[in-house]
Amino acid sequence: MHDPKLLLGIVLFPLLGAIVNGLFGRNASRQTVHFVAVASVAMSFAIAVVMFRELLLQHAAGEEHVSLSYTAYQWFSLTLRGRPLGIPVRFVMDALSGVMTLVVTGIGLLIHIYSTGYMSEEPSYARFFSYLNLFTASMLILVLGSSLPVMFVGWEGVGVCSYLLIGFWFENGAYAAAGRKAFVANRIGDFGVLMGMFLLASASGSFEFADINHFAHEHAAVLTSALSLGPTGSPYLVISSVSLATVATLFLFLGCTGKSAQIPLFVWLPDAMAGPTPVSALIHAATMVTSGIYLVCRLSPVFVLAPHTMAVIAVTGAVTALVAASVGLVQNDIKKILAYSTVSQLGFMFAAVGCGAFAAGFMHVYTHAFFKACLFLGAGSVMHAVGAHGDADTRTLGGLRKFMPHTRWTFLVSCMAIAGFPFFSGFFSKDEILVGALASSEYFTFAPWLGPTIFGMLFVGATMTAFYMFRLYFRTFSGEYRGGPHHEHHGDEHGHHDDHAEHHDPHESPVAMTSALIVLGIGAIFAGYVWVGLAHFEPWVLWLEPVLGTTHIEPAHNLSYVAAGFGLTACLFGWGTAYAWYFKGSETPARLAASFPRVHALLMAKWRIDELYDATILAGSRMLGVVASKFDMYVVDGLLTDLTSNCLKLSSYLFTRVQNGLVHAYGAVMAVGLLAVGAFFVVPHARPAVVGKPDGLTVSFEASRGLAYEYRWDFDGDGKYDTEWDFSPGAKHTFTKAELQRGYVAVLEGAGYGARAEHLRLSPGDKRELCEQDLGPSWQSADDSTLPIIAADGTGIVVQPNGARVRRVRKDGQDGQAQAPSAKVHVGRGEHVTIGDARLSVTGLVRPRLLVRNAFGLSRTRLLKLMLPEVEERVHAAVVSQLDPLGKLGKEGAGQ
Amino acid sequence: MQIEVGDYLALASIVFGIGAIGFLVRRNVLVQLMSIELMLNSVNLMLIAFNRYMPANHAGQLFAFFVIAVAAAEAAVGLAIVISLYRLRKTVHSDRADSLRH
Amino acid sequence: MTAAAEGVFFLCAVLAVLSALGTVSLHSPIRAAMSLLTHILALSGLFLVLHAQLLAALQVLVYAGAVVVLFVFVIMMIGPAVPEPPVHRGFLIKVLSVGVMLLVTTVLMMSVLPVTLPTLSLGPCAPGAGAECAQFGGVAAFAQSLFMDALVPFELISVLLTVAIVGAIAVARGRTSEEAQVAEQKRNAADKALEERTLREKAMAAEVSAHGGH
Repeated sequence: MHDPKLLLGIVLFPLLGAIVNGLFGRNASRQTVHFVAVASVAMSFAIAVVMFRELLLQHAAGEEHVSLSYTAYQWFSLTLRGRPLGIPVRFVMDALSGVMTLVVTGIGLLIHIYSTGYMSEEPSYARFFSYLNLFTASMLILVLGSSLPVMFVGWEGVGVCSYLLIGFWFENGAYAAAGRKAFVANRIGDFGVLMGMFLLASASGSFEFADINHFAHEHAAVLTSALSLGPTGSPYLVISSVSLATVATLFLFLGCTGKSAQIPLFVWLPDAMAGPTPVSALIHAATMVTSGIYLVCRLSPVFVLAPHTMAVIAVTGAVTALVAASVGLVQNDIKKILAYSTVSQLGFMFAAVGCGAFAAGFMHVYTHAFFKACLFLGAGSVMHAVGAHGDADTRTLGGLRKFMPHTRWTFLVSCMAIAGFPFFSGFFSKDEILVGALASSEYFTFAPWLGPTIFGMLFVGATMTAFYMFRLYFRTFSGEYRGGPHHEHHGDEHGHHDDHAEHHDPHESPVAMTSALIVLGIGAIFAGYVWVGLAHFEPWVLWLEPVLGTTHIEPAHNLSYVAAGFGLTACLFGWGTAYAWYFKGSETPARLAASFPRVHALLMAKWRIDELYDATILAGSRMLGVVASKFDMYVVDGLLTDLTSNCLKLSSYLFTRVQNGLVHAYGAVMAVGLLAVGAFFVVPHARPAVVGKPDGLTVSFEASRGLAYEYRWDFDGDGKYDTEWDFSPGAKHTFTKAELQRGYVAVLEGAGYGARAEHLRLSPGDKRELCEQDLGPSWQSADDSTLPIIAADGTGIVVQPNGARVRRVRKDGQDGQAQAPSAKVHVGRGEHVTIGDARLSVTGLVRPRLLVRNAFGLSRTRLLKLMLPEVEERVHAAVVSQLDPLGKLGKEGAGQ
Repeated sequence: MQIEVGDYLALASIVFGIGAIGFLVRRNVLVQLMSIELMLNSVNLMLIAFNRYMPANHAGQLFAFFVIAVAAAEAAVGLAIVISLYRLRKTVHSDRADSLRH
Repeated sequence: MTAAAEGVFFLCAVLAVLSALGTVSLHSPIRAAMSLLTHILALSGLFLVLHAQLLAALQVLVYAGAVVVLFVFVIMMIGPAVPEPPVHRGFLIKVLSVGVMLLVTTVLMMSVLPVTLPTLSLGPCAPGAGAECAQFGGVAAFAQSLFMDALVPFELISVLLTVAIVGAIAVARGRTSEEAQVAEQKRNAADKALEERTLREKAMAAEVSAHGGH
């Protein structure tokens, strides 16, 4: 048994590598730099393998929930509705994150090795490896983080690294712009993740994935109940048709569309090919873009509670798959084709998880990582060979099989895998996706046609995939070499590629690159078999089942044969067309393009999505900017700034006039001040107040002191003064019941949500109907029309219960005998009753009067308001219970 | 007719007012200083009048004594300033002592 | 209160008001000073009526004997007033301030006029009362109060007077004509240097803006 503490090492080694290379790599030799970078990822991979073996052993021991976890430290503590909510930095490796960790570290390691060859002439060698390591570390935090906030750190980290790496050659404005575009698109998504995170946390009371998923299992009703936009538990702003799960998962999915390049946020991924090719392979094929799928799988128990969101995901995935594949059909640039292929494959994955086939979608993540990384690295190898930089037009390539056999074979194998040739890794995962799509019609009860439609779209998408991948392969590797790209265009942009211009014949790449290609190629063939028996899916499902949510739909057995048949058809048809058109050489593609010029142009222009965004969102933003700037110019500058400056000018003019240097003018101002001070002393200023708390009906008063002030008090406010002139400011008076008869106040303390104590001054004859908010939760009316009414008479309040339960409150504070529900109840001064949960108290009101005079003989009257006997406000126990409608907080709190 | 404390106070008020108006109206620094002396004297009169009607101790007279001392000091310094001003500006007109305005 | 005392009060009161008016309204400073002298003498008469014998004497000694003499001395030193051109600046403020002050005075006078306090008799010492009988306002009683109740302020007043004398000498001494000349030259040189520097900076700024900042 290995210490789970090692999990920390998986994250820390790449982080350490990033720091070392980032801080000290500038002056270190290339060997040192790539040793640090490769070794740190290798260590990470080694630990991941060891820990994964631990999981396998647990699984073999019959454990259902295999997981290892290590809590590094308490990050911060919050309080959620009175309960402490800690967010620990905890790393958990279970079946899902274990596989993902292996993919990230394993493929990351290969790409690091490959990069040592590919980037060998890059001047900013250490910077590149530092970013690459930082990316790996962030991705591992994303995968291993046990809670949404920790995952979000990684989520943001990969976003930042992606930005840094896409804009790695930031001297080129277009590349830097591509980095920015990726960052902005991701930020839009991140907003969704945050919203989803807080919604889920507020519902489930925890940020931990495990707790949220457990909550989704145990309290599905809370998540699927109607959504309330008001404070929790309040009856206001309820949207009955939308559940909290739907909203939260839609927000999370918005984040996924950003990170995983789905419609509508996919536009950044094709542009992201501006980065170095290994980056495209690592980030934009194998790891980062799959984090959206990972998040959906991670929270799949929540997602299955929201079938509408799942439908949105499935449709988005399928449409993305189709649109991206169609663009891939006509592109000529090798990396562009692969980029659109990635978008399309991610669409497949989302279609799968949207249909509830989480295992199938995640398996495609796993297999796709191998063959897409291999394809990208192969493309990089080709570009390295022909000296292209950033982009390589397939029309200028061809016949490369002679020059670079390793690259050619691994590329071919990967093409076959992605196209879904039988017994290659892609075949298994794609089949399962098709099965999932077919079976999902039972899940989408509100739209049974959805499953077959998605299946059809995916079938077309798969056919296109096979076609464009082999089109790419044939145009690059078969036929005759067409001379490569024009070096003079690319050489001058980046000096380090100048020496490639001397090679006229392409050459095989160095061992560092080909070795990575070969390993990935082998993975592209056999990755499927590790988890799957020969054409047998069960072990994968068994392994992942405890982690993933389920739609409780068992696909019929024969469906897999149907799906396999369709998958094979798609693959063979696509391959055959590509073979006939591009291997044999045919005029058909050109003729097709000529006969449908508009379609061809639309596809070449990538469905003009960028232009659409330009015209809508960007134009809108610009418009907003123009409006804001005009507002700034005319309102802020014109009105506010000029107005204030003019006020200032005016006052400065006035003050300048006052400061005229004439001594007698200053004397005049002094005289005015003297007048004011004199006036203050001539008029008496005494303020009466009650000292301390009244002792029953005995109240102590005190007035503020002044120069030779004399005081007279009229305690009961009847107009006759009760004391003679006295120099002492204090007074004490015991009120009699008769003195309190002059007025009264009814104090109504509501019990419902947000109710407060209310002071009602009712004249005799006034009436007031109590509302439900006053009466609190325990009150039930026989029919809605009758509510209790309180009315004032000369001596107190008369309560007409109208069915409500009215009790007198005894002297000791306990509820007394309930009154008959129809009888009127009279409440006099100093008495309390409860009506439902509300309390009504009546208290006498007196207005003591103070007369004060000073040495100048001027006098003044001041009034005071006093309620006697005092009403003690009570704690609103009923309001507290309202905050927790299901009582779940109390229950869980007790359980812990 | 009985003379009351109010009569003394009224007399002091009138003299104080005359002194204040003189200070505000006259431009000759010497006369302004004399106006200040008038005001101080009126206050002295008020203090001593009160002391006459509350003769438990000599508080009013003591205060007046100190006021006389302070007034003497004030007159000395004030006249020194007048001499200084005259030396600088060849005038005793307070309007001409306005260098700080600019 | 005797009729004689009443007569003295009215005489002194009328004299005090008239001489105060004369002090502030007479054009010639020397006449104003003389009027002030009259006012001080009238007040000392009132002090006598109010049983402040010592203060009446001090009033004559300090005010009439020292302060007014000092005023006269200064007026003589400065010489006859140079006729100033009539100034009309601040006429409005002058009217305003006089109005305000008249208002304040009237209100103050009207509000204090009705104040009454019981008149306690402060007769002379009973015959045969002995040396320890100290008359209110007399030297013995006043000195007892002064040195028992107000010793610290009294000592502090001596410090104040010393400071005032030193200050008055420092202010009135002024500079000798040589010192004034040197200071004038220094000030002119400093003004010239400042002007030159401002011109130089202005030229530099113009040059910078002409060449686009860099």
